[in-house]
Amino acid sequence: MGAFAAILRKDLRLELRSGQSTVALFALSLLILVVLVFALSPDPANRAEASAGALWVAMVFAGMLGATRALLAENENGCMRALATSPIDPAMLYAAKLAAAFIFMTVAEGAAVILVVLFFNLDFGPELLRLVPPVALGTLGFSALATLLAAISGRTRAGDLLLPLLAVPMFVPALIAGVKASAAALSGAELSAMTRWLGVLVAFDVLFVTLGGLLFEHVIGED
Amino acid sequence: MMTAPVVETYALGKSFGETPVLRDVNLKLYAGRAAILIGGNGAGKSTLLGILAGLGRPTTGRVTIFGEDSLSLSHQNRRRIGMLSHQSWLYPNLTASENLEFYAALYGLPHPEAVAHRWLERVGLLPFSRERVRAFSRGMEQRLSLARAVLAQPMLLLLDEPFAALDPEGVATVGGMVREQVERGCAVVMTAHGPTAIEGLELEAFSVVRGRLAPYGGERRGGRLRSIPGR
Repeated sequence: MGAFAAILRKDLRLELRSGQSTVALFALSLLILVVLVFALSPDPANRAEASAGALWVAMVFAGMLGATRALLAENENGCMRALATSPIDPAMLYAAKLAAAFIFMTVAEGAAVILVVLFFNLDFGPELLRLVPPVALGTLGFSALATLLAAISGRTRAGDLLLPLLAVPMFVPALIAGVKASAAALSGAELSAMTRWLGVLVAFDVLFVTLGGLLFEHVIGED
Repeated sequence: MMTAPVVETYALGKSFGETPVLRDVNLKLYAGRAAILIGGNGAGKSTLLGILAGLGRPTTGRVTIFGEDSLSLSHQNRRRIGMLSHQSWLYPNLTASENLEFYAALYGLPHPEAVAHRWLERVGLLPFSRERVRAFSRGMEQRLSLARAVLAQPMLLLLDEPFAALDPEGVATVGGMVREQVERGCAVVMTAHGPTAIEGLELEAFSVVRGRLAPYGGERRGGRLRSIPGR
């Protein structure tokens, strides 16, 4: 647990010091939402669906950046090799990098949700709390997937290109479920309308957190 | 009773694609002994060190570290290996002290701040402890990287060109540290481009040519280098 805390603390310290991810994530979310609000011109009838879609598009792009940032520092000066040769359990290392990516994404999403509410003319009310389960589950799933894929793509020459090519198609099931669950949450639908989609998100999270924990050793290991 | 070697390689070979990099390497090193691998660029020295550190898989042959197969090394034995690589393995946006504290915590050492302070003092970087590594010269980074490699008191120390980019003071500091490690029973494998010696330390020298290991200087010199004052 000490190693987990040490890695997470180090990642957060690096981020706080540079602020690169947070600023970039916020700027990217803002840009995406501005474009989408003008492109969709949502009317009251489809406002929930449009705002949910816009939120998740912002999440995916912001998540890509967040996961990459969490691993980028390790590629500089070969630090990932130091971690690979250290006595830390690779699954623990994966968990720490996943936690860092999750925190970066959550901060960006907090801002994105506020922007969505403002741009799509929604209410700042308690119903926004209904967004927490789909967004939290989606963030965990995307962090899990993107952390694993960023570690793989970081070892290739065209890693920055490879990550979205791999991550976006694999995230599609969770993306659909997340948009549907979020739209149900924002439209004030019954909880039962969300649960089916939340189930898909939970399954996605379990799958990729498990896969990441099992495969990370091979991803960061030998040359 | 003869103790088991810390490192033993059996007919070790490594190829990248069709290109052989190491061929039939047989190396045995005991605790409290130091070996130096001398060879030019591309000879295979760094690849060999990488395999000993568990960063590479042999194509042929076998490697044992502390009696365990290198491919299934326990976490307990991983903790006993320290490595100085070509890359510093340091975070440029952390200070010197924060880097060492991080690695001390990673290795589960108690009081990481005290550990960092001690090693910064030992490598002569205490006045720069709050400076970010990004601002360090190559030589300072090399000294800090050595501190990183030894702070968990490894029993196998792998040093890839430890004297590169160092000024005479740095050479003396690093040489002294390597000698201290050997004296406390650590096995050291280091690489160099040419004959290198550390005062007061006997190095078992090997030449590495196109991936093959042979006693340096052949029978005439018995493959051993003694101290050459001032290198």
